[in-house]
Amino acid sequence: MSAGPTLAVDALVAGYEPDLPIVRNASLHVEAAEIVALLGPNGAGKSTLVKAVAGLVPVSAGTVRFEGRDITGRPAHRLIGEGLAFVPQTENIFTKLTVAENLALAGHRLGRRLRERVDAVFALFPDLARQRGLGAGRLSGGQRQMLACARALIVEPRLLMLDEPSAGLAPVMVAQLFAKLREVRAAGITILLVEQNVKAALALADRGYLLVDGRPRLSGPAVAMASDPALAGLYLGSAA
Amino acid sequence: MLQLFADGLIQGAMVSLGAIGLTLTYSILRFANFTQGELVTGGAYAALMALAGFAGTAQRAGTFAGLSFGWPMLVALLLAMLATGGLALTIEWLLFGRLRRHGSAITLVIASFGASLALRNLIAFGFGPQPQYFSRDLQIAIPIMPGVRLTPDQLFLVGVTAALVAALHFFLTRTTLGRAMRATAENPALAMLIGIDVRAVVRWTWLVGGALAAVAGVFLGLTVQVRPSMGFDLLLPLFAAAILGGIGNPYGAVLGGLLIGLAESLSVPWVGSEYRQAVGFLVMLAALLWRPQGLLGERA
Repeated sequence: MSAGPTLAVDALVAGYEPDLPIVRNASLHVEAAEIVALLGPNGAGKSTLVKAVAGLVPVSAGTVRFEGRDITGRPAHRLIGEGLAFVPQTENIFTKLTVAENLALAGHRLGRRLRERVDAVFALFPDLARQRGLGAGRLSGGQRQMLACARALIVEPRLLMLDEPSAGLAPVMVAQLFAKLREVRAAGITILLVEQNVKAALALADRGYLLVDGRPRLSGPAVAMASDPALAGLYLGSAA
Repeated sequence: MLQLFADGLIQGAMVSLGAIGLTLTYSILRFANFTQGELVTGGAYAALMALAGFAGTAQRAGTFAGLSFGWPMLVALLLAMLATGGLALTIEWLLFGRLRRHGSAITLVIASFGASLALRNLIAFGFGPQPQYFSRDLQIAIPIMPGVRLTPDQLFLVGVTAALVAALHFFLTRTTLGRAMRATAENPALAMLIGIDVRAVVRWTWLVGGALAAVAGVFLGLTVQVRPSMGFDLLLPLFAAAILGGIGNPYGAVLGGLLIGLAESLSVPWVGSEYRQAVGFLVMLAALLWRPQGLLGERA
């Protein structure tokens, strides 16, 4: 593994339509075993940025490097083998498959190691183990997010990207989920997290970026950002 | 009455097999594929060609006890399944795959309608418009239970259909490819994220749908006759079955096919056989008024 950052995004321009970029000249980096929060008001391009990294949104300029390798514009189905997993905000599990089928399908390339990996993610999320035979569509909102994380983690990625995992969850569930993410990081997995829940995200993260109009406006250690008046002003302004 | 029930079951089995392909391509590619009827026809003609290929051995091979055919027919059926799967892949490669990159769903539907017309005429041009038969021997229907007589061919057909539906169930629930198909049908973007090659899933969907359509075509040829418009005539019942069962759900296609077959058959004493197809549609409409998403369909 290279000594450089796990993820390095440089001057990225991306959007669903080539002439309508949503991410405009965005640069950021995530170091190994770091938790980085990507914050910003609605429409700032946070989700588009991580989706572009995940190969779901076309990139029109700039580069994305993962562990030093250029992965710019690589299709999504080839990134999971590289060690990069993405959990979308919604529709992030197959509701018509059971919990066990979701995990088995996500780990379909693991071969004999599948059983061992299923046991490992069930150890991290014991609630899911009890509901392995249940249709995933019948899980609660919090359990769905847990399953979405479990299916991403089953292939042992080195970078986990999550798009607003706390959206729609009760505070107690957010606390549970973020506690799991701490465990994930403790196992050496790097995390890039898009969040609307600024307070919870900065409490979890080591560093943060504030994205406005498709590019980072502020960045720094999470502790410093949490008390930055510019960030508070921006959010209070947008909430008012 | 029981006899009509049995006849309906057989008609329904053929409709079910054809409708599975229709519903699978709909679930993965989100468009109504009008060429499904021609895949049924293509399967029947492919089997005829295969049989003609080993005509000499077919004479010597004789027939299975009671059936109108022997092992060459089974080999021909397998070859027809492969050939029709190949035909479906070719249409996908030549037409649908290219149109999907730019066109909308309605473009695909109209294109499939045109391709259906072209294929039907190509088959009529190549094989002639006159009906052909797998066998000209008359088969004696044997009593199965009081009041029900079926030919051995018909019994074979019901048995094979049941086996194929069981195999499909195993495929969809126990194999990685089958699970990948269900996953892609529900959410193609997420399927890509977990490393599923969605294009490969699309190709397999055509292959499976085409192969099952071929079986429907061969069975239709065995029980009725082989002619260029046989699949097109079956197309409306195929759609009725897929929609009645809940479009996109393969189990719904099987259930819908059986119900359409039964409804058509059981209505014959009242309305006569000319109007039986209309009865299938009335059943579908009534069921949809009561359950708009189809019997096994889920609310959108």
